[in-house]
Parts: sequence; C-alpha cells; structure tokens
Amino acid sequence: MLFFDLCIQGVIQGAIYALIALGLTLVYGLLRILHVAHAALFTLGGYIGVIVTNGSGSFLLALFTSMLIVAVVGMSSYTIIYKPLLNRAPLISLIASIGIFIASEELFRIFFGAYGLSYINPPLQGQIEILSGVSLSHARILVVVLAIGLLSGVGWLAINTRVGIAARATVIDPQMAASSGINVEIIRYGSFFIGSAFAGAAGVMVSLLNNLVEPTMGAVPSYKALAIIVLGGLGNVRGALVASLALGIIESFGTIYVGHLLDRDSIAFAFLIMVLMVRPQGLLARG
Amino acid sequence: MKKYLKTIMLSGILAFGGTVVPAVADNIKIGFNVPLTGFAAADGQSALHGAELAVKQVNGSGGVNGKMLELVVYDDQASPKESAPLAVKMITKDGVVAGISGSYSGATRAAATIFAEAKVPYISAYAIHPDITRAGDYVFRTSFMGEVQGRAGAKLIGEMLGKKRVVMVTLNNDFGKSLAAGFKEQAKNFGVSVLAEYDYSIKDREFGPIISKIKADKPDAIYASGYFFTAGPMVSQIRAAGLSQPIIGQEGYDSQKFIEIAGKASEGVMITTSLDRDSSSPETKDFISGFAKKAGYPADMVAASGHTALLVVADALKRAGSNDAAALRDAISKTSLSASTGKISFNALGEVQKDVQVQVVKGGNWHHHSVISDAVLLAPPSK
Repeated sequence: MLFFDLCIQGVIQGAIYALIALGLTLVYGLLRILHVAHAALFTLGGYIGVIVTNGSGSFLLALFTSMLIVAVVGMSSYTIIYKPLLNRAPLISLIASIGIFIASEELFRIFFGAYGLSYINPPLQGQIEILSGVSLSHARILVVVLAIGLLSGVGWLAINTRVGIAARATVIDPQMAASSGINVEIIRYGSFFIGSAFAGAAGVMVSLLNNLVEPTMGAVPSYKALAIIVLGGLGNVRGALVASLALGIIESFGTIYVGHLLDRDSIAFAFLIMVLMVRPQGLLARG
Repeated sequence: MKKYLKTIMLSGILAFGGTVVPAVADNIKIGFNVPLTGFAAADGQSALHGAELAVKQVNGSGGVNGKMLELVVYDDQASPKESAPLAVKMITKDGVVAGISGSYSGATRAAATIFAEAKVPYISAYAIHPDITRAGDYVFRTSFMGEVQGRAGAKLIGEMLGKKRVVMVTLNNDFGKSLAAGFKEQAKNFGVSVLAEYDYSIKDREFGPIISKIKADKPDAIYASGYFFTAGPMVSQIRAAGLSQPIIGQEGYDSQKFIEIAGKASEGVMITTSLDRDSSSPETKDFISGFAKKAGYPADMVAASGHTALLVVADALKRAGSNDAAALRDAISKTSLSASTGKISFNALGEVQKDVQVQVVKGGNWHHHSVISDAVLLAPPSK
C-alpha cells in the first residue's frame, strides 16, 4: 500500500512540475532562452488564485482569472524583456531573466506582505478513498486531472491544427518557417501565452495544496524546472513531461528512503547527473 | 557631479533602510540586525516590532540614565555574509553600546564573533545554534537552545501526554537538528521509542511522501520541527491525509500565521515555546496588548523575544549606570528580569534559564496548556 501511496504522491508532484516545465521548454525551443522568470509567473498565479478565491468565493473563477492574467503578463515579459534582447548573446537574456525573478520576490513581499497569504476557506478539501487505505483530497486529484487535461489539450493542438504544425515547424527551423509564410511572432506570443497560463494554473494548485503563497514560493521551481527541461532534452516538450513525472516519483521515494542523506533537491539533481552521464542529450532528445 | 553624489547617497540610504532616522548625538544606540527582506522577512518584521515596542516603552518612562534609547536597524537577510559587515559597521561607525540579533542562527553566529572580538555585548533574541554564545563572554541568548526545547518536547510527549511510539519529522537545518538531538537524548528517559525520523529541507512545502510513510508507521504521536511556513502546510496535509495523532511542535510554529495556514487542522497542535498567551504576569499582558496595537496582528514568540532582548539591555544599562562595555557586560550577566517571555537570568555561558511554556491551539488561537519547569532537564550547557 505504501508503494502505491508513494507512486501517487510522485505523480501529483510530477503533474505540478509538468505544468511549470511546459512553458519553459516551449520558450527554450523557440528562442533558446532560459526563462528563469517563468517561476515568478508561477508565484503570481498562486497569489491571484488566493486573492480572487478569498474575494469572490469561487475557486473556479480564481483559476481562470489567474491563468488569463498570468498568460498576459507572460506575453508582456516577451515584449518587454526578451524581444529587445533577441539579437544579443543568450547570456544577456538569462541575466535579465534572473534579475526580473529576484526583483519579483521582493515585489510580492512589498505588495502582499512578508507572511504570505492563505485561503480563508480552503476549497476542495473533501476526501476520496481511491484504494483501501489510500485516500486523497479533491485538491490533489484536481492537480492530476488538470495537468492531464491541459497538457493533452496542447498536445492535440500541436498535432492536429495548422497553428500547432506551424509552431513545431518554427521550433525546428525558424527561418525556414518564416519564409514559408508562418508568422513567427504570433507563434512566440502563443507559446508565452500557453506556457505562462499553465504556470499560473500550477501556482494556483500549489497554493491550494499548501494553503500558502509566499514571496519565495518560486525559488525551487526556478531551478528545478531548468533541471527538468535539461533532463528531458532541451526544448523537447515530450521529454520535459516524462522528466517531470520521473522526477516527481524519484523524489517521492527518495524522500523516504534516502531522505536522511540527501534532501529533495539533492535527490533530484543526483538523478539529473546520473541520467546525463548516460544520456548527455537528455531522456528523449534524438541523439 | 553633485546630483550624481546625491543619487549615490540616496540609494545608500535606501539600501540601509532603517538608519535614516536622524541621529541625535546624545541617544544611546543599540544595534539590531534583522532579516527584513528575503525568506525570513516575516519573522524579522515581528522581531523588529517587538524591539521597537520595547524602545517605546523604555523611552516613554524616561529612558535610561537620563538618555533616550535609539535602535540602529540593519537588514541582514538572515545571511551571514550580510550580518558580518553589518556588525562591523554597527560597532565602528554607529558606535552602538550593544547589539541584538533579531535574526536566524547563521547570521547571528557570524555577527556574534565580531561583537565578541570587539568586546561589545551582543544578545541573540531567538537564534538557537549552540555555538552562538560560545563566540565569547560578551554574547548572551534570551531564548532556549534547540537541545533544551527538544528535551522539553520528550517530556511533554512521553510523560505528560503518555505517548510512547513517536515518529519524528525533522527540519534539516541547525534549528531542526538541535531540537531532534535534545529530543532523542531524553526520549528513553521518558519511555519514548522513536519509530523513524524523516528529514526535510526548509524549502519543502509538500510532505505527501513523508505522510504516506507515517501512515504506514502508525505512531502514537508526531514530533515535527519547523517554522510556521513549513509546519502550516505540513500539519494541514497530515490532517488531510486522515491522520489524527497528536502533533507536537516548537517555537518555530509560534505565530498566528501558523493557525491561518493550517486552518482547522491546527486545532489541538501543541508546541514548546517561550510566550504564554494566557499569562497573568503584567509584563506579558502588557506586551501582548501593546504589540497587537503597534503591529496590527497578534504577538508571536519572535516578537516577544525581540522585546525581551531589548529590555534586558535597557535593564543592564540602568544597573551599570554607564555605557561602558565591560560594565554593561557584567550587568547583563547578573540579569534577573521579569520580561514578556518569563523570568530571565543567565548562566556562566550566557544562556538563559527559564521555564518552557506549552501552548495548544484551541478555537483558532494559541492558549496555555502547561508549563515545564524542571531545572535539571532544562539546564543549558554552561561552557
């Protein structure tokens, strides 16, 4: 029973990682930029989720509002930060991104206070027994359902629609895509929109699981999501999703069985190092 | 050029926030390093409110030796690489007569060494690392060491609650580890067997795997160390997973914010701490009402500790009758003061000797549960 329980906890964590990592890997695929400030969007999502839920009483409204606002903020981060720096060395965008991320933590603190915010009446706290002895709160189940729903929606778009095909073409060869009449800018904005919205959703879900959003809640995702997209093969969406799930499960078991030696992050990075020693190109990238 | 200089000066002032208060030459300056930005900013804010309240109270009743107290505040981000240069600055540039740490152990240790070398008294308000007071005989601590509180936890669980099979969830920093060491040292004496111990890092907010394992361990009680921002999510997740065993924490939980985060799950959670909300002592009652008025939220352990440390310095200044560092040090070491966190006196190492307060969450607030006053069990090391 413990084994199933730990697997389930791993899948839940993996689902959150996947929602965060998708945007990061999309941006890397299109622009070759490590979008560290993505984690600030995750935090923003959490704050909007708590504030709107507490104000309106509707968690669903909060989830949609959060995804929408975060998506718009994500798109403007492209316009304001990355677009002017596109012709510079990638390092410059990276430094700009880290700067924005650090500043965001203090901005959250200044605007919303150092103590963080919590739900006054946390929604979705009911329990469902999924196996005998293993029961999960509705919030935990929603995390997984939401991740599967959103990610397969994007997968369907990418495979079955012209926009999706155009997006994939742009990732493979932006110049060729542009000369075939694809509007590369729209693809970029679209990727920021979707990736940021998902990070917002992840932020709302994490705020619900912990009943706490705090200025520094993006700190761990800021580097763990980088590890995930490296693990998956940089820019490879499917790889990032597999890596998210793998990492969630490894961390879940690792916390219990080697937790007294290595903390959660160390376990994740030890796994990353081991995989990269065998497959330097990442889990799913073509070698 | 002039404009340029002005900008530099302005940004300098902004960077060092607290010091813009115009300095009056005659004031007695007390240094205060505290995290006002970064991950520990919430605790820092509380500690600062507590110390400021104490300054207001002292100055309101005529100051010390005919002079007013002035707090010289610096943001150390709870980081030793910030606190060390700030300690130098407080001593050499600001000329503080004493320093107080409203910060965590790392930052406090670094500053304590510098204060000890400069022979300027320094008090750790709530940082718990054992090495802090060992920096030298100018360093004191007004809160419990982790080990002492851990021992109190063992007595609470094994003897007072009668729970014998315990699982430990330990925060893997100096705070959690020293609590765990004290707990394990005394566990056997109170008939407690530790079934398992799980470590987590201060960045963790997701305890699903550990909770699954605790469910399989079937303990009688859970001894979990942490701060309100880790313990809040942990306790709410433990209860959401259907576990109903008693959860025993420590002063790191001691904040109204813990109850806000954990919500209904916080009911019945017990902690060992320094602040008794239902105390009948006038010092504590005064502090609790004064703090709520000043800060706009209920008092917590960190605030009471900042308040206590400042009052210890003020009291010693009065008794020393001068700002002389050696005289002040001697006066602090002979402290016998009723403060918001109880009756304060120090042993030879500069460690506080006082009772441990057990608080329990009832009806959405911290309340008195019991007091542990076993002088032998709670004796801090004296060298």
